[in-house]
Amino acid sequence: MNAIVIDDSRATQAILTRILEDLDYEVTCAGDGRQGLQVLDRTPGIELALVDWNMPVMNGLEFVRQVRADERFASLTIVMVTTEGDVGHMVEALDAGADEYAMKPFTAQVIREKLELVAAGT
Amino acid sequence: MSEIDEIVGEFLVESYENLDAYDEDLLALERDPADREVIGSIFRTIHTVKGTSGFFGFNALESLAHVAENLLGRLRAGELDVTEEIASALLATGDAIRRMLGEIERTGEEGTEDVTALADQLGRLQADDPASGEAEAPAVDASAVADVDTSTPDDTSPADDDTGDDHGPRLGDLLVERGDVDAEDVSFAALEQDFGDPRRLGEILVDDGKASEEAVASAVEAQVDNGQRSVADTSIRVDVGLLDDLMNLVGELVLTRNQLVQLVSDDTEHELTGASQRLNLVTTELQEGVMKTRMQPIGNVWNKLPRVVRDLSLSCGKQVRLVMEGQETELDKTIIEAIKDPLTHLVRNAVDHGIELPEDRVAAGKSEEGQLVLRAFHEGGQVNIEIVDDGGGVDADRVRAKAVSSGIVTQDQATRLSDREAVNLIFSAGFSTSAEVTSVSGRGVGMDVVRTNIERIGGTVDVQTELGQGTSFKVKIPLTLAIVPALMVSSGDDRFAIPQLSLIELLRLDGDQAASAIELVHGVPVYRLRGRLLPIVDLSSQLGHERDRSGEAINIVVLHADGQSFGLIVDLIHDTEEIVVKPLGSHLKEATLFSGATILGDGRVALILDVLGIAQRARVVSESADRAMSTEVDEVATEHTERRTLLLVEVGDDRRAAIALADVQRLEEFRADAIEHAGGQEVVQYRDAILPLRRLGDLLGAGFVEPPEVLDVVVHRDEERSVGLVVGRILDIVEEDVDLDGGATGHGVFGSAVIQGRVTDVLDIQVLLGNDPGVM
Repeated sequence: MNAIVIDDSRATQAILTRILEDLDYEVTCAGDGRQGLQVLDRTPGIELALVDWNMPVMNGLEFVRQVRADERFASLTIVMVTTEGDVGHMVEALDAGADEYAMKPFTAQVIREKLELVAAGT
Repeated sequence: MSEIDEIVGEFLVESYENLDAYDEDLLALERDPADREVIGSIFRTIHTVKGTSGFFGFNALESLAHVAENLLGRLRAGELDVTEEIASALLATGDAIRRMLGEIERTGEEGTEDVTALADQLGRLQADDPASGEAEAPAVDASAVADVDTSTPDDTSPADDDTGDDHGPRLGDLLVERGDVDAEDVSFAALEQDFGDPRRLGEILVDDGKASEEAVASAVEAQVDNGQRSVADTSIRVDVGLLDDLMNLVGELVLTRNQLVQLVSDDTEHELTGASQRLNLVTTELQEGVMKTRMQPIGNVWNKLPRVVRDLSLSCGKQVRLVMEGQETELDKTIIEAIKDPLTHLVRNAVDHGIELPEDRVAAGKSEEGQLVLRAFHEGGQVNIEIVDDGGGVDADRVRAKAVSSGIVTQDQATRLSDREAVNLIFSAGFSTSAEVTSVSGRGVGMDVVRTNIERIGGTVDVQTELGQGTSFKVKIPLTLAIVPALMVSSGDDRFAIPQLSLIELLRLDGDQAASAIELVHGVPVYRLRGRLLPIVDLSSQLGHERDRSGEAINIVVLHADGQSFGLIVDLIHDTEEIVVKPLGSHLKEATLFSGATILGDGRVALILDVLGIAQRARVVSESADRAMSTEVDEVATEHTERRTLLLVEVGDDRRAAIALADVQRLEEFRADAIEHAGGQEVVQYRDAILPLRRLGDLLGAGFVEPPEVLDVVVHRDEERSVGLVVGRILDIVEEDVDLDGGATGHGVFGSAVIQGRVTDVLDIQVLLGNDPGVM
């Protein structure tokens, strides 16, 4: 299974990568939304994206909108990862097309549960 | 374990990097509160710290970042305006975060620093609602943050990280693959984890004695190596130590190249000549390339300065606009390090003493806001840095008066100096820049230290000023320290290199001219160069080979050191050469004549002359600049002035010392042949008793001097003992306001003072003789 981590912090990239590897994903990282799109473009078979909200160049919300506008990525599961805890943000992310929403910090267990929720929903 | 450390390391590096830009961004925001990009960058820095620190359980750090982020969020949304108070609080937040990161770096824990006050302040600032009181506004304050902390779920039992699975480089699999453990042991350990053992897989295996600690550590490392790959790797990080090694190797290559080129030039083999020319070319390019990797923009040092200027001008009640030009100018990393402090000092000085208070500026017909320009550019293989203020300028007459009262120059000398020369006296040791020592001009470090530090890396500093218009400091420094152009000279059979930066001009005096051209003034040889007296030092006598030069032509290399020119007589002047500087071994550290060594094209070693060291040794310039350096370290040393009656003596090699007259019983002269030896000590018959003698020069480490026929002896007596101190010469008795520059310059020395225009050690006889068992 392949996944992508999109976050402008290298430290966060490393942490999220570890969490996903514990869930048996092969992980590629990108530093902002635009890089994320490039990676998706080049790498077929990515099933899951963990996307930070606040990034330079292209933020997570914009990334989600652009991915959802592209038919090829229809099956991609997107989990927004951020520290913004309020409901408004959550709704905004889900409206844009994110499947789930995780607040930092979290554990592999949290992501596993979120993914189960997504799987059950479809 | 090591994987976590590595991620924390990444977190530290990343956060420090972001914080570097943070201060600068905040200051930019203060100037232009509407700049979306800048506020976005500030927000992200704090946001990232908050987001990442939560994963490590650095809760205090997370909560502080959280409240700061709330405040920044409101600024970003345009709900609040940046005020001075907000900017100061956010700057303080950056500082607090840096301290916590530092603590994490040292101990792995975030420390116990109490930041509640700061967090409360941030919370209050963001709650300060200007009119548009939005009830829904995120009224999160420090106390609410606690919820976030406690909600941190701790079911990240690190165990799941390592559970052996059938996929990817799991730790257990790796260990089995490497033959370090049996597959059964791994399964068993995983089972233990499933039953709730909180230990990590590796730990269980080690604890059960199934695997060695080394094997686990090495497997974990291999696991990390298989980790994530980031796209867009356009740059890589390289250890500075590796670059230093490369630089050394290139240095060796340059030397070998020089040797080869010299050998080949004596040869007529065409093919070899061609090959050596190519080698020459490639080596030069390689040298430039490697040097480039060590280059950093000067902006890396400067980006700390806006903060310095802001804080300082606020505390002085001044308004200062800092303008920086040429931030991209690059220079060697080691030089960047070396100029950081001198530059900061010059900038502080410009704000503290240069730029006037707003009301004074207005009275002088200038704008309220002063301007401080930092400019950097390359010129002539050097980096030029200018620090220009439009302040009040330096009053040459005040500098003269101050220099005379500090004993740096005599009244007579002072009046003969041009204004420009007089202003340059501010770089003299013992010259205090301002009558009152302000808290900001700092740790009592004078401009002499600035100059010493800049000259230490082969640079120069010059000041120009116009009263009422401003002051400009011009600093010139070499691009790199590793490979420098140098003039090769000979003394006797040996060759020496003189760094070209110290060089002013070359003189040659023909035989008949030479005899009369060099005169003695007060026992010091000088040459009249275009109407000015140039002190002359003979290299061969400094090296200990006296040479009679009568009737010969004389070659003089004119050098500058410590703001003073002097002429160095050498036997022969050769070519200039690019030399690779090799440091001298620590056992040669005391050899003040030399600053390093190099290998010449013919394979011989040449020593590099330390121009400042020679000047000091020959007393062309005073050594006090160095003393000031040592007092800088010893900050606690108090400055106290007292009127005392002192006996001035000369010690050993023309060094001066002063003894409080109260410590002196009598002054005596003994013939050298009256000295007897008892128990390995020198003694003399004196008033029906034996008086032990001590050579003051030896006690002070001033070097041994051949005793003259008649010894000048200072007899000291107190309740416990009497002793005769043999001095070089008794000079004078003076009554002086001794302004000790503080700091123990050596055992038995109170400090040094300028007496009769000379740096003089004031002795503490009690300490000096303190533990001497031979003294009765």
